[in-house]
Amino acid sequence: MRRSALRVGAMAWKETLHILRDPRTLLLALAMPVFLLLLFGFGVSFDVDRIPLAIADGDRTEASRALVRAYVEPHEFEPVAAVEAEGAEALLRQGYALGALIVPHGYAEALDRGEPGGAQLLVDGADGVIANQVLAKSDATALAAGQSRLAAAAGAIAPPVAVSVWTRYNPEARSAIFMVPGLSAFLLAVGAVLLTALTVAGEWERGSMEQLFASPLGRLEIVAGKLAPYLVLGELQFLLVLSLGTFAFDVPIRGNGPLLFAFGLLFLLGMLGQGLLISVLAKSQLVATQAGALSSLLPSLLLSGLLFPVENMPAPLRALSALVPARYLVRALRGILLKGAGLDVLWPDLVAQVIFAAVVVALATARFKRRLA
Amino acid sequence: MSAPAPETAIRARGLTRRFGSFLAVDAVSFEVERGEIFGYLGANGAGKSTTIRMLCGLLEPSEGEATVAGHDVRSSPDAVKSSIGYMSQKFSLYLDLPVAENLAFFGGAYGLSGRALRGRVDEVLELAGLGALRRAETGSLPGGIRQRVALAGAILHRPRIVFLDEPTAGVDPVSRRDFWALIRRLAAEGTTVFVTTHYLDEAEYCRRIGLMADGRLVALDSPAALKREWVPDRVFLVRGRELPLERLRSTPGVRAAEPFGAALHLRADPAAWDAARLAALLRQAGGVDVAVDAVEPSLEDVFLAAVGSGKGGAP
Repeated sequence: MRRSALRVGAMAWKETLHILRDPRTLLLALAMPVFLLLLFGFGVSFDVDRIPLAIADGDRTEASRALVRAYVEPHEFEPVAAVEAEGAEALLRQGYALGALIVPHGYAEALDRGEPGGAQLLVDGADGVIANQVLAKSDATALAAGQSRLAAAAGAIAPPVAVSVWTRYNPEARSAIFMVPGLSAFLLAVGAVLLTALTVAGEWERGSMEQLFASPLGRLEIVAGKLAPYLVLGELQFLLVLSLGTFAFDVPIRGNGPLLFAFGLLFLLGMLGQGLLISVLAKSQLVATQAGALSSLLPSLLLSGLLFPVENMPAPLRALSALVPARYLVRALRGILLKGAGLDVLWPDLVAQVIFAAVVVALATARFKRRLA
Repeated sequence: MSAPAPETAIRARGLTRRFGSFLAVDAVSFEVERGEIFGYLGANGAGKSTTIRMLCGLLEPSEGEATVAGHDVRSSPDAVKSSIGYMSQKFSLYLDLPVAENLAFFGGAYGLSGRALRGRVDEVLELAGLGALRRAETGSLPGGIRQRVALAGAILHRPRIVFLDEPTAGVDPVSRRDFWALIRRLAAEGTTVFVTTHYLDEAEYCRRIGLMADGRLVALDSPAALKREWVPDRVFLVRGRELPLERLRSTPGVRAAEPFGAALHLRADPAAWDAARLAALLRQAGGVDVAVDAVEPSLEDVFLAAVGSGKGGAP
């Protein structure tokens, strides 16, 4: 037992020295997540404001100017051009504007008669996300403009049905708060799988695996010694990404710290196991890198709920996502960070992570034969 | 762990390994005594590394059996691994780590730790003449020195037997000589050394030699006995100009005549020919400045004779 611990320790120490002596590994492990998080956090935002809007005011009355003001004053829309109605579509096609507000001649008169004014909004639908936001914001603006006219005309009347909407946990609906927990799961997954896949495949490629097999080091001892330093590195990565999220993006940490840590550790164990399995099967660094990147990057990005809600996926994809550990971590992180959820809510995610980690590490160890050929 | 050291360090009986339908090692049997330097010779692909891997518990024999340091390689490979040192053909060391860290790792892999480990690392560094290089990055050292570091790593845990698979491949002659000095020192201290090589001059250092060809052990004895057995003819080195090679080859009692550098290598029946008579024959046949010397047959002659009788190629 003591000898076994010594052997694992020797293996772990050697692996640590490799990491410390190779700046690329450290850079890949620590600088890349920071860089990517900043890139994604600032760059990938689903919030659209200052939407370039072309304005074709064919009425030029007090009423039509009030409508235009309602659009551009809150800075949701930015007027980029004043054109005739016929020129509006050309601006959309050339990409100068994402929307065009067209107020027809006779708008004010129609309103005064109590008829619909007939103002139009043309929207560039090529990008669905942006088009949706333009529509939503325009709806809100038009509704507000309509209500203020009503109020001005008839005094204050309470609307028959009033719905008060409160958005909890992310009241300003900021993308970063929603993205950072998901992104940290994604970054951890890619880093952990790649790093282990590389280190074990490296031993095969160098021929040193044969030397290790000729020593009394057991399979589990090699695996444990290899994984331990990367587990520590992964937790560091996790801490780094979380602190960056907190300081740079004001992501709150409402839940329990140790639970967060436990989720991170289990997730890393599963990812390291996956990397190990890949490298045991691949035995070459090139193949291991590609398989590692593919098997961690795509599922963690597309099937984890990071970008697309799992609930909206077609049934086969939803079933597949059950095999992606990032899905459980994304849920757990959003739960713990944003909602302050505890083990009473998140235990199924914890159990799923334990099962995944146990199965991959067992598979990898079983496939990892200590005899050659 | 503390079974008395048997006099027979390695015993192989009908050791066989197949890879699919390819017979890599074919019913090889031999014994290696304790403290012996046992050389294993053969062309690439003759089955040397496969034999070593079976003896080290890395590869399961298809048939036959072997005991190493008293442990059966099939039933207790772990006991075998603890009592041997192994230097594989391809890997020598982790090139990004310093010399002493490489050694400390291998010591740790064999369960050494703390002061015992540090003391032993110093000892083997001293033994291998590497005391000054302990902090050097291994990748910056020339091949010959790396191989000495690797050997030092293989003996950290004081194994009774070391297996060295082509330890001097691609190493310059001076370093090869230093390396062999180290091997002989180990053997003198009672360590059994099982070494494969394809340098025939190195094989002269071995007490006994096994010759592999196409997976079979075709000869096994001391270098001197092998020469007597396989090269019964007398070998002559013939120098001169205008030497009649074709005439020599058809002379009765002359078994072979091959160009050897600027000279000729000639094997002849010792009952029929000696140096003086050969010289007389050559001068009579038109040779100029003829000089004939009887020379000791080399292991190369043995190898060609033994392997030529099988179907193997040159080393």
